Amino acid sequence: MKRLLYILTTLATTILLHSCTPTPKDVVTRDVLPPIYPDYCDVTIPENIAPLNFLIREDCEAIEVKAGELTLNASGNEAVFDIDDWKELMQQSAGKEIDVTVTALIDGQWTEFKPFHWNIVKDKIDPYLTYRLIEPDYEIWNNIQIQQRCVENFEVNALGHYEQLENRCMNCHTFASQDPRLSMMYVRGPGGGAILNQDGKLNKLDIPGSVYFGFSPSGRYITYSTQKIIPAFHSDPSKRLEVYDATSNVFVADMEQQRIISSPLLSDSLKFETFPTFSPDGKYIYYCAADSVSLPVDIQQLQYRLVRIAFDEASGTIGTQVDTLAATTSVCHPRISPDGRFLLYTVADYGTFPIWHPEADLQMMNLETGAVDSLLTVNSQKSDTYHSWSSNSRWFVFASKRDDGLYGKPYFCYIDKEGKAHKPFCLPQEHPAFYDNNLKSFNAPELGKGKVPFDVYDVAKAMKQEALHFNR
Amino acid sequence: MRILKRYYPAAVIALWAIGWFCFFQFRYPYHFFFQEQNQLFLWSWDYISTYFDKSGGLALLAGDFLTQFYYYLFAGAAILSLVLLLAGTLVYIALRNFNVNRVIAMILAIAMMSFLAVCHFSTSYRLSSTIAILGWILLLWIISLMKDWKLRAVILCCALLPTWLLFGAPQIRKIQKPDLILEKDFAVDCEYYFGNHDKVIETVEGSTEWTDQMIFFYNLVQAQRGELPDHLMKFTPNILGTFYKIGPETPMLIIRNMNELYWALGDMTFTERAAMMTNVFSHNNRNVRMIRRLAECNFVSGDSLAAEKYLRILDKTLAYDKWAMNVRQQGKQLYREKMQMVNHRDTITITDNAHFLMMQLLDANPNNTVALDYILCSDLLLKDISNFKRDYDRYCLDTGRPRLKALYQEALCIWLAGTKAPQELWQQYIHRDDVMQRFMDYNNRRGDPAFKGTYWYYFDKIKAPEA
Repeated sequence: MKRLLYILTTLATTILLHSCTPTPKDVVTRDVLPPIYPDYCDVTIPENIAPLNFLIREDCEAIEVKAGELTLNASGNEAVFDIDDWKELMQQSAGKEIDVTVTALIDGQWTEFKPFHWNIVKDKIDPYLTYRLIEPDYEIWNNIQIQQRCVENFEVNALGHYEQLENRCMNCHTFASQDPRLSMMYVRGPGGGAILNQDGKLNKLDIPGSVYFGFSPSGRYITYSTQKIIPAFHSDPSKRLEVYDATSNVFVADMEQQRIISSPLLSDSLKFETFPTFSPDGKYIYYCAADSVSLPVDIQQLQYRLVRIAFDEASGTIGTQVDTLAATTSVCHPRISPDGRFLLYTVADYGTFPIWHPEADLQMMNLETGAVDSLLTVNSQKSDTYHSWSSNSRWFVFASKRDDGLYGKPYFCYIDKEGKAHKPFCLPQEHPAFYDNNLKSFNAPELGKGKVPFDVYDVAKAMKQEALHFNR
Repeated sequence: MRILKRYYPAAVIALWAIGWFCFFQFRYPYHFFFQEQNQLFLWSWDYISTYFDKSGGLALLAGDFLTQFYYYLFAGAAILSLVLLLAGTLVYIALRNFNVNRVIAMILAIAMMSFLAVCHFSTSYRLSSTIAILGWILLLWIISLMKDWKLRAVILCCALLPTWLLFGAPQIRKIQKPDLILEKDFAVDCEYYFGNHDKVIETVEGSTEWTDQMIFFYNLVQAQRGELPDHLMKFTPNILGTFYKIGPETPMLIIRNMNELYWALGDMTFTERAAMMTNVFSHNNRNVRMIRRLAECNFVSGDSLAAEKYLRILDKTLAYDKWAMNVRQQGKQLYREKMQMVNHRDTITITDNAHFLMMQLLDANPNNTVALDYILCSDLLLKDISNFKRDYDRYCLDTGRPRLKALYQEALCIWLAGTKAPQELWQQYIHRDDVMQRFMDYNNRRGDPAFKGTYWYYFDKIKAPEA
């Protein structure tokens, strides 16, 4: 009901605009790609994605888009597809490449731009994306939210909302094997804690300060890092903010026996250990480790290596040897594809907070061959980081600041059977101008197979519970 | 006589609205500018559609839409007065339709107008709340048009939900008296923002009482004229802003002031940080003044992609689209001086200690007079003579740019006398005979109020602020 006015207005506007939308005539052609935003030229998309609405960065009066069998005519500079027409197009074109031609009325002249293509693949992407919406300067927050968005349409719902959670800071929401029935998020501040979702039943866990975490394949164990995070500032304005850990260690929580498992190898006072994640077979914990340096002075010497340590799920014991897998530049956020073939991680010149490092790029290691792909078609001149796999291992999402260097947006990348990465595309929005107007970063995007079985009110209730105690 | 009797309530209501216009226009105009600067309304369907996510969307939309015009002179008072007039008129007509006595209806209408006007004395009260009340008054008026009580009841039942959805509930947090001191704070802040620096000086110097905010902007203007040391001793206690720190509890006005200070100093990292933080604590986390600043500081630091992000947002405003276009076209000329001040030497710090930041700026660019005066004046306000001497040596003597302001010469006299410096040092530091002569006089009449305005008097008699 509350959207009634909005729907009626949209309907009236659409009818009005459609009735007087000009169509192309006396067209001239230009051999350049259309200046569309977001950049959806020559991208690979899943057949279950929402319409790739876009706008043209030109002062144009009308636009025509021909995508396969679909023709869209609109006034103004925005191409907004009807969702039913779009779904039909996706169904018809799944497994095919379609040409897209954009013709725009600019200064009274219809101009047809060089066509581009959309490669529509049958490998579907997990339909739900969770992320945190926060101002890019993470030091101080207000009105923070964790949202879940269905990528097949434009439906959004809140998992964590400032209004219900006393305007507290919340960090990332992580699934176990992209399964919405098992997930965890962390709400900070007095009375806060890790909120564990097991089939919609929420419990608050006494796991203080868990920042990054991952579930074992059985769901029994959670590996997590605790750290003391320090923000620092660069005097060179182009570098802005730096965040580093004054201390950081990795632990494992056994959910069944409610105990914390630790190892001196994972909590070495002379090292920083962070970003733990289980391998899909549960036999290893992959994480990043750096030798302690004097901070913040020697921040550029803070180099994290990609390492792993064995873990036995049956006995809940951590191994005794740390293997180094990559040690070229500083490595962050290792995530293994659910099929165990690829290890995706971020590399930066130094440090542990690649979000503000323009040079931060994704790399992908083939765990069968050890070969590293520098993902040239995926990375940009700005920060590309914080990634999460789709359950079928064919897609991953990552946060990229490629457009303005400030505000992270979710980009989806396809990995084909041969392990080749395709040009990524930005999460489509109902209104193409959304990203232009938006003043919050999409932080820590995570893909999930379904809608989580709880909402913000359940989280607020769980916050008031007594936390489940873990023996240390 | 009958006509007069019939129309005098309307005339009284109209006069009452005009009265409120005069009050808001001539005694309270800067509150409107403050509200306008602390929101952002975009002419974009994507943005407008977000208003309908909550109940009261139409009131919020209309309120924010109209608030953007507060940017223009007279618009704030005119818009509010018209809304008050409409509310008063509808209340009066509705009550008359309910057969309420003409005089009582008029008094109630005036009371309603006064209540709404008084709500606007608070900066946290927004026009959308008044429009929400107006929406409910509109419902009252519609119901009053029906003659049959049953029909009235049916219409009331049918209209309650739509009215709730469109207008919601007003957000009235507190009723207060007009805050004329805050109005003065906003006056200097806004005149500074509009670039009317002479008016800032006039307003502050023409006042008999001063707030921290007034003195802060006064100093900011004087610093950019290179005259901060000439006026530092004018006000005690004095506020430079260099001892503030930004944290979760810092009031938004202070963060905004810090943004202005960092911008004047030329520290684009902290300018951007303070602007983003001001956004965080503004209405709907958006603040048009800070969006402008973010565009400016990114333009100055050479981050054209980030600057364009904010300029695009400003393109969608009615009041700032031309400003955005001008920055694109003339930015390099407009900000030439600022661009030269940008610090490209990278160091990293965990503190927002202004002294440290100013040292970084001066190390990178010794010509930064604003930073130089702020660092030296901060030392002097704290009576930290040894640090003053260290900073003076580092940024004035070692760089071959002695700054022979009377204030600095006076402070150096204290250091020289305190350390029993040899004559050569006196000659090296003190170049102004008038200061030397006065220092000798002061030593004979230490603490004499005749020396008010000298650093010696401040040093002996005035309590230093806490760092």
